[in-house]
Amino acid sequence: MSIMAYNGAAIVAMKGKECVAIASDRRFGIQAQTVGMDFQKIFEMGPHLYIGLPGLATDVQTVAQRLKFRLNLYELKENRQIRPKTLMSVVANLLYERRFGPYFVEPVIAGLDNKTAEPYIAALDLIGCPMATDDFVVSGTCTEQLYGMCESLWQPDMDADALFECISQSLMNAVDRDAVSGWGAVVTLIEKDKVTTRTLKARMD
Amino acid sequence: MSERYSFSLTTFSPSGKLVQIEYALAAVGAGSPSVGIKACNGVVLATEKKHKSVLFDENSIHKVDMVTKNIGMTYSGIGPDYRVLLRSARKLAQQYYLMYEEQIPTAQLVQRVANVMQEYTQQGGVRPFGVSLLMAGWDEDGGHPFLYQCDPSGAYFAWKATALGKNFVNGKTFLEKRYSDDLELEDAVHTAILTLKESFEGQMTEHNIEIGICNQDGFRRLSPAEVKDYLASIV
Amino acid sequence: MSLQMEQHEYGTPMQRYWSPYAMNGGTGLAVSGADFAIVASDSRLSEGFSIHSRDAPKTYQLTDTTVLSCAGFHGDILALTKYLEARLQMYEHEHNKKMSTSAIAAMLSTILYYKRFFPYYVYNIIGGIDDEGKGCIYSFDPVGSYERETYRAGGSAGSILQPLLDNQIGFKNQQGVVKTPLTLQKAVQLVKDVFISAAERDIYTGDSLVIRIITKDGVKTETFPLRRD
Repeated sequence: MSIMAYNGAAIVAMKGKECVAIASDRRFGIQAQTVGMDFQKIFEMGPHLYIGLPGLATDVQTVAQRLKFRLNLYELKENRQIRPKTLMSVVANLLYERRFGPYFVEPVIAGLDNKTAEPYIAALDLIGCPMATDDFVVSGTCTEQLYGMCESLWQPDMDADALFECISQSLMNAVDRDAVSGWGAVVTLIEKDKVTTRTLKARMD
Repeated sequence: MSERYSFSLTTFSPSGKLVQIEYALAAVGAGSPSVGIKACNGVVLATEKKHKSVLFDENSIHKVDMVTKNIGMTYSGIGPDYRVLLRSARKLAQQYYLMYEEQIPTAQLVQRVANVMQEYTQQGGVRPFGVSLLMAGWDEDGGHPFLYQCDPSGAYFAWKATALGKNFVNGKTFLEKRYSDDLELEDAVHTAILTLKESFEGQMTEHNIEIGICNQDGFRRLSPAEVKDYLASIV
Repeated sequence: MSLQMEQHEYGTPMQRYWSPYAMNGGTGLAVSGADFAIVASDSRLSEGFSIHSRDAPKTYQLTDTTVLSCAGFHGDILALTKYLEARLQMYEHEHNKKMSTSAIAAMLSTILYYKRFFPYYVYNIIGGIDDEGKGCIYSFDPVGSYERETYRAGGSAGSILQPLLDNQIGFKNQQGVVKTPLTLQKAVQLVKDVFISAAERDIYTGDSLVIRIITKDGVKTETFPLRRD
């Protein structure tokens, strides 16, 4: 049994026109047994910057906390907000420091640049190898299903409403074909002057 | 005794002073002059580079150096101490880049170099650096010029224009009269040369001064030929 | 000489390993409508990082109105389909009629279960027309568990395709939508779309798509190019 699939998770991020979205399921389970249906896997790292952490639940929380620690120091030292690209670099370093005893998380980053408001999404593997794309990134226990959904539903230059529908449908239909993720979903839609977080009414079985 | 313990040489005097730092400052004051001026579109660093003998190969050593693509520095004081700081400044800049994949902002580099200098006023078995640094930078996001001075104590200051080393008081007085906020980089180079010239003994040539400029294209040390052109236009 | 022999006998222990199975990839997909069924598969045959063939469709026409799609170990696919052909012939000789789709499905289940402890490493999907003239799909696991469904994707890109079929044909996670019956035209277009997506992400799926359209009048075949990298 893979450690990465011990608790189960599904996270996806997508680019739209002048907006980005990141979504995750809400299940916390121990193998096949569901324990919680309100587990936080997406964390706010700035006004327009979010990180999703699928993987081993204990590492999810540790990485989220250690990252917040580094981020707070950065913001105090430099007296400015971190850029999405720079955050990606910090995460990559944080993970690579544990190259031979890794945190079992494969993060997804979504955000808008503080100055240019340019959309940015990226995913990293558990030892910090980054991958920034211009369409979508997926991570968790049902990446195949997510890729299938995203590859068919995503299209360039979607507005905020279309992006929300696309990411919601992609996530919900993907998790319904994965036994260890699902049990509710949460979507965060990031626009230049508005960030909306919605929880979705999904199948709970 | 001395094998087992190492004491800080910078111990407070009864009056509350750290005399070692004052001695270090004296070494700076005795060092050859350097000038920095911030213009609206860039920064200029200039320094005197006189040699003891005519036999010296004056192109073998530099006093104005690049730290990153868009930060450069110069100094007044003890040359070898400066080169130690230059090495650590370059290393700090690269460490920052490795961590953030972003060029280090000038303020960050100054802060970190100043921190190194402060450590040498408190650590055991070391002495303070006998230099004051002038650091010129251009930050990519925002597009602003910066000019900082960094002292042996670890104190640092942001200047519009300043002078260090021998006769720095006269240099600063000269700059106070000449400086204006809408100064262009080209004019700033002239002003910097004139400031050096105030206290310059003997003939100033392209071989006994060194100039660095920093603008949106990054930091660059001027070639002797370019310096010669500036000198010619001053007469 | 005796020294040499000693070295040979007391060398470090080594474990030899051989598997009777290989995975040759391939994706199968079946969709049924009111009076039709579609069975589709890609035509790539691969092993590891190499492609053995770009022209090896994994659909097999069993009768005039029944098509089988197989993915998995190609050796077992050949053995299984050959055996199925024989059993179909025997049935025809004994009963003087073609076997119905539902009967073939039941028989395939027993054939697979017969090898419960040395299974055919094959993922099967059968598409055809049932006794009432409606389109029907049966999906199997390698040891004979089977059920009738209206759509199913299987093989290497099965998990990529299935959630999309749930959404587009099963109308899953859609609220207040009119559940219009699937037309043949829409079904064919959907099959092409999902295979394009699968070929994008799955290295074991690509080259070309073979679509078998089954109606009461027989089987029509359509091919469609997919990415070849």
